Amino acid sequence: MVSDSISANASIPSATKDFGKKKRANRSAKLKQCKLDARREQWLSQGVAKNKGIKEEPAGPRGSPPLPGKGSERKHLLEKLEMRRRDEDENGSIHHDFDSDSPSNSPTGSSVLGGSVSGTNFTGSSSSSSSSSSSGGCCSGSITEDDEDNCLDDWEAVADALAADDENKQGNCHDDNSPCLESGLETHRDREPVVRLDSHCEALKRSLPNSAPMRVAPANSRAWRPDDECRPQSLPNLAKQRSLPNADRHCGQGGFQWDYPSAGAVNGPSSCPVCTEDLDFTDASFLPCSCRFQVCLFCYKKMLELDGRCPNCRKLYEHVPAEVEVEVEASVHGGSLTLKLPRSYSMIARS
Amino acid sequence: MQTSRARLFKEYKEVQREKAADPDIQLVCDDSNIFKWTALIKGPSETPYEGGVFQLAFSVPEQYPLQPPQVRFLTKIFHPNVHFKTGEICLDILKNAWSPAWTLQSVCRAIIALMAHPEPDSPLNCDSGTLFKAIFCALGTSEAINLWRECILGLLPHQRKVDLCRLSIRW
Repeated sequence: MVSDSISANASIPSATKDFGKKKRANRSAKLKQCKLDARREQWLSQGVAKNKGIKEEPAGPRGSPPLPGKGSERKHLLEKLEMRRRDEDENGSIHHDFDSDSPSNSPTGSSVLGGSVSGTNFTGSSSSSSSSSSSGGCCSGSITEDDEDNCLDDWEAVADALAADDENKQGNCHDDNSPCLESGLETHRDREPVVRLDSHCEALKRSLPNSAPMRVAPANSRAWRPDDECRPQSLPNLAKQRSLPNADRHCGQGGFQWDYPSAGAVNGPSSCPVCTEDLDFTDASFLPCSCRFQVCLFCYKKMLELDGRCPNCRKLYEHVPAEVEVEVEASVHGGSLTLKLPRSYSMIARS
Repeated sequence: MQTSRARLFKEYKEVQREKAADPDIQLVCDDSNIFKWTALIKGPSETPYEGGVFQLAFSVPEQYPLQPPQVRFLTKIFHPNVHFKTGEICLDILKNAWSPAWTLQSVCRAIIALMAHPEPDSPLNCDSGTLFKAIFCALGTSEAINLWRECILGLLPHQRKVDLCRLSIRW
């Protein structure tokens, strides 16, 4: 794949020259072209693997030195790309797998596809320590059990290899809020959460005996794409959910098919009896009163403002509501799906 | 506002779906205003109201279901807890004991229950309350029920009512 990208670069300067001749006079067009190039570069960096078949596509002046008068954003990108290529040379195939396979590794990892991929594989939780953009890589590591045994060795090896380069890379870090996206460091991060996540997965398996089987992905060590064949049917489709926020909210009935052994979602009402809004995951597992009368969090707040009594049994609501006996609480936040093992009070905090 | 509409709409659908479920209650929404409802309830059996059909008018506030609907009898009824002229109903769940878990349908059921079991200690119709108490204090149960029925149906002569009240006061 390295050679692919390089050969693609080789054909670029001539293409851009021709293009530039035509548009030299028109400044706005030039600006446009710059933007286009930048976008193209982003796109290229997203999916180097995808480019296999599209060599003839002009890939922008990637190999050429940055021209004067171009935007700083573009400079960043170029630097990044330079970095990337250097890394590729240095780290070889280890890094390259990740770079090409996980779409969310790219600087534009906020794309819907990337978000959904990482989300559906329950790896967002790992982002507590690693950058959100590398979650795709994390999840692949966590699910591939083949990696389990060697991951620690790999991690150390990679870390050693990286230690020497770190100083160079620090200089190239942008002032982004997100941590540096240098691919080498990503590899470093990709590997780190593996051990932790695996234990999570084991716990998850134990706590959800009937739940979707955690299938082992084939050796390509990547997350399931939404259209992947080996992707379990029972995995929720987050991309769909996001586009139709209300369509799949009938928890435990349609969109999600998780088995929550003791959650109220299975037997309880699908909509709030007070406001008639459909209960979402959090609401469905929210039992504010010992009489098991369910209201959505929104109405619960209203009840507290009103008289603080349960509409059903008229008992005073306790301040900290009886926490749900849900084994695993799943919540979708900004494209990353967080799994929290037993009894978290975050739900209350969020309300 | 939106919540009340959604909630009322859901209740409307519920009523349409379960029309046959409760033959004693017929809830009808106003054609043009979902906040106005009328209900026809049958007088509960084994009460003086048996065989009668009573019309109720619902006026639902925008804060519904956090606030109770306003309900009154359109049909004249002689009942200790119903104002004879305005049809206002003295019922705790329509006042301070309201709960958002109640629905218009369940309010109707509560009113039917109130018709069967008057609460003469908090009367809106004082005459009726006094009379009710007088009758049920002075007489044995079966006789009192008959007398009470006659009262309600307007068959009892005025003088008899006065006598009954005097009797209870003397008691």
